[in-house]
Parts: sequence; C-alpha cells; structure tokens
Amino acid sequence: MQNRRLKILCAALLLGAASLLPSLSPSISWAGSCCGGGGGASLVLPKFYQAMADVSFDLERYNGFWNQNGKYTSDPAGSSLRQYRWNRGYAQRLSPKWQASILVPYVWNVNTYSSASHRTRGIGDTALNLWYEALEDTSAWKIRGLKDLAPSMTIGPSLVIPTGISPYDGVPSDDVTGRGFYRLDGNIIISKTLHPWSASASFSYGSYLERPVNRELDYVTPYRKKLGDRSSASISLSYITYLGTGGDALTATASLSEMREADAARDGNRIDNSGLQKDSIGGTIAYSSTDHAWGVRASWSHAIKQDGWGKNFPATDIYSIGVNYGFR
Amino acid sequence: MGSVNLRWMALLLISIALTGCGRMMEDLKPSNSDKHHSGQIAPDFTLPDTNGASVSLLSVLSGTTVNGVVLYFTMWCPTCDVHMSSMRSSHIPIYPTIRFFAVDYVSGTVADAGHSELSNGYAGSGFTVLADTTQSVLNLYHATMGTTVVIDKTGMIRMNEDYKDDRLTAVLTGLP
Repeated sequence: MQNRRLKILCAALLLGAASLLPSLSPSISWAGSCCGGGGGASLVLPKFYQAMADVSFDLERYNGFWNQNGKYTSDPAGSSLRQYRWNRGYAQRLSPKWQASILVPYVWNVNTYSSASHRTRGIGDTALNLWYEALEDTSAWKIRGLKDLAPSMTIGPSLVIPTGISPYDGVPSDDVTGRGFYRLDGNIIISKTLHPWSASASFSYGSYLERPVNRELDYVTPYRKKLGDRSSASISLSYITYLGTGGDALTATASLSEMREADAARDGNRIDNSGLQKDSIGGTIAYSSTDHAWGVRASWSHAIKQDGWGKNFPATDIYSIGVNYGFR
Repeated sequence: MGSVNLRWMALLLISIALTGCGRMMEDLKPSNSDKHHSGQIAPDFTLPDTNGASVSLLSVLSGTTVNGVVLYFTMWCPTCDVHMSSMRSSHIPIYPTIRFFAVDYVSGTVADAGHSELSNGYAGSGFTVLADTTQSVLNLYHATMGTTVVIDKTGMIRMNEDYKDDRLTAVLTGLP
C-alpha cells in the first residue's frame, strides 16, 4: 500500500497538472452531509496587497466511504449525494507582517436515494484566520546566494466557528452543513519559489472545544462531547508559466493532502472508532492578470477509492472554481 | 491601517465568533420537543426483509424464544457502520433472545437493500435487514440516521434515541 501511495504521489507531482493559487494555502476540504461541511482553503494575502476578496463555488460529489477499518465501501445503490458550497472570503492586511481573513461558506445538500430525495441549504461553519509572515521568500529566478534559498514561512492561529447546522441541532443527517464545534488551529505554511517552480508545505493542528450535547441527530442522554484533535498536512508543487510578454501568469500545481482526527470523547472517556482519516490528491490551474489584481482558478480534489486511503469518512471528489480580486 | 479600523475589525470578529454560541444554548436547556418515547407501546409495522419475507413487529415479539427487539435505522454510512459493527460484536452474541433489525430507509427496493447489506458486509451478520422503501417506519418512529429503538416482549418502547453502546447495553440488560 505504501509503495502504491508513493507511486501515485510521484505521478501526481510529475504530471504537474494541478495547482493552488499562491494566495490560497492548500488544505483538506471537508465533506458535508453526514459528517459536517463548510471548511475550505485559507485565504492568505500575497506581499504588497492590502486586501483581497475571494469567491469560489465547490461541487463535492460523494462516492462511497471508508469504514472504521479503512475498507472502501460503495454508497447505497441508486444514491446520488452532492454538496454545493458558495465560499466567500475576505483578507485584510493589518500591518506589513500581519493579516487576517474570514471565510464563510453557504451550503446546499442535494441527496437522492432510491427511496427519497432531500434538498436542504444553510450557512456552513465560518473560519477566521490570523497570519504572521515570519519569513519572506525572495522568489528568485536564479540562485546567487544563500538568501535565495530561504523559504517563506507564514504562521498563525485560526478559529472555526460553528455557524452551520450540525447533528447537535436535532436535524436529519441530510440537513447538516457544519460540525457544531469551535475549533482552534495552529497553522504553518512554508513555501519556496525558484522560478518557474514553486513548492509549499502546510501543517495544521487543531483542538475542538468541549460542548454540551443533548441531540446527536436523534435524542441522546445529555453529556459533554469533545471531538478528537485534528491534524492536517499538505504538500504541493507548482509550475508557473508567463503568457506572452504582458506578465499574465498561469500556474499549475499538484498536491497531496492528509487529514487525521483522533477519537472523540464523551464525558472525558474516549469513544472507540470515532476518529477520522482522509488522504487525497488534488490540483489546480490558476490564472492571474498582469497586475495580479485578478485571479481565476479551477481545482479538483480526488479521493483514492481504495482501501487504506481513509477511515470513517466519505470518499469524495471536489470540483471548485474561484475568482479573487486583490487591492494594493 | 488606522487604530479605528482595527477596533471595528476586532469588534466584527468577536461578534462573528460568538454567533456559534447560540446553537449550543439549546443543548444546555433542552426543548420540550425532544423525542423520548420510552414507556409507550410501539406501533406495529410490517416490512419485507432482504430475502423477501414479510416481517411484522407483533409476530416477531410473539415468538416463544424472543424477549425483545432492537431496531437500528441505517443509511449505510461510516457512522452507521461503526454502530452496526459494535452491535454485531458486543450485543448480538450476548443477547440471543433479542432480535436485531437494521431498518434500511434509503433503499427504494428490496433488491437495493440486499445489495447494500452485502456490500457493507452484513449478510449473515445476525442483523435482519428490513427494507423501509417508503420510509413509513422511519416516520412512524420519528427516527433518523443512527436511531436505536429497543422494544420489550410486551411491545413497550424501552429506548428510542441515538445509538450509544453503553446505553444499549444497560437497556438490554434491564429487560424483564
């Protein structure tokens, strides 16, 4: 299995067929419907930008799941499960090295089973980010000295706010648009550009806040629940091509992402087999205008529908298109 | 960036951060609409199992070797699999006089339900899978994904709530 993963990773990187816009940190997208929705990439301002508005539209298509043993299992026959998300983001520079951003998704669940169909919608979980640019990348075209090898490093906390509809709101599973918990993350993004190549790695570790629960889709005897700590990592490799002599740029990136969530706890006691895992590959083609004010991107995140690529989690493909505008 | 702008931004962010609290207050003060049917007589129903046989709740309970029934409502999802797997290993072998039914409310045909039972690895598991093709039993019991109903020999509901391993054990152990 490890060799197979390595081969797929290498193939994905070598193909260079995917990308993430430099202003978006790679991160796992969160499956919706049965397991909560909402989360997307984090908005990070490029250097010299004062603010940026970002709008994207996601289609997440469910195609089976991995059970608690990591075995891939098909969805029920005749079912079609989809989640659409309209993500609105805004980033604001607070000082030369500090910036903040907010991302608010609006979610539509469109689930069809052979027995019935459900269409529901609502706001998803909101994400607030604070970033500090600890190291700056000179984005060199040629290595002339040690400083040209220095990567950029951006660090900061983020807070996920449970503004979505969660299983704890006493709704059917098809109505769920969020996880229902506050989560505080620590994030780090390291990237290095040596034109025309760029590589980045991002890591996050987050902890949910414990909360009281008296519903979990259905009634439960009230208790205090805490989801397990969540870690995610992503690496990506990009190739930048400049179009003509005007400076318009096209960036293609391949990425590999991993997400792990430890077992949840009920009144302080571990709930067996409640942890999650999802690994995925992905990519984006991104275009930015000469003055880099406008950016347009299309991305795809793909779950490998084989045993061992996830645990306790839906296998999904996420197709996304987005546009951003930067204010200098 | 002026300090006035920063103050406004801080206020805005704090306001947004607190919006998530509203939903949690419901859990601190449970509303009266919470379903809790323990002590009521279970409504009868008849559904086909994945072999095509007709299964009636009352006829199952009238069996001489049956001391109760567990209904588990499944949509064949990761969470459902965790619950069913737990019952298969922790409850079905220990309570031989209890009949365990998985009520599949997402399959529109008996054949689809049989396919899901097979692909999820529950053929011959100790569960009898019932095909609730019109979601009539789902609505009858006001159930949703993961709802677990325990009905005793007399037809009385002893539990009707989301699956919890230890809660199910306690209820089954307490059956007369």
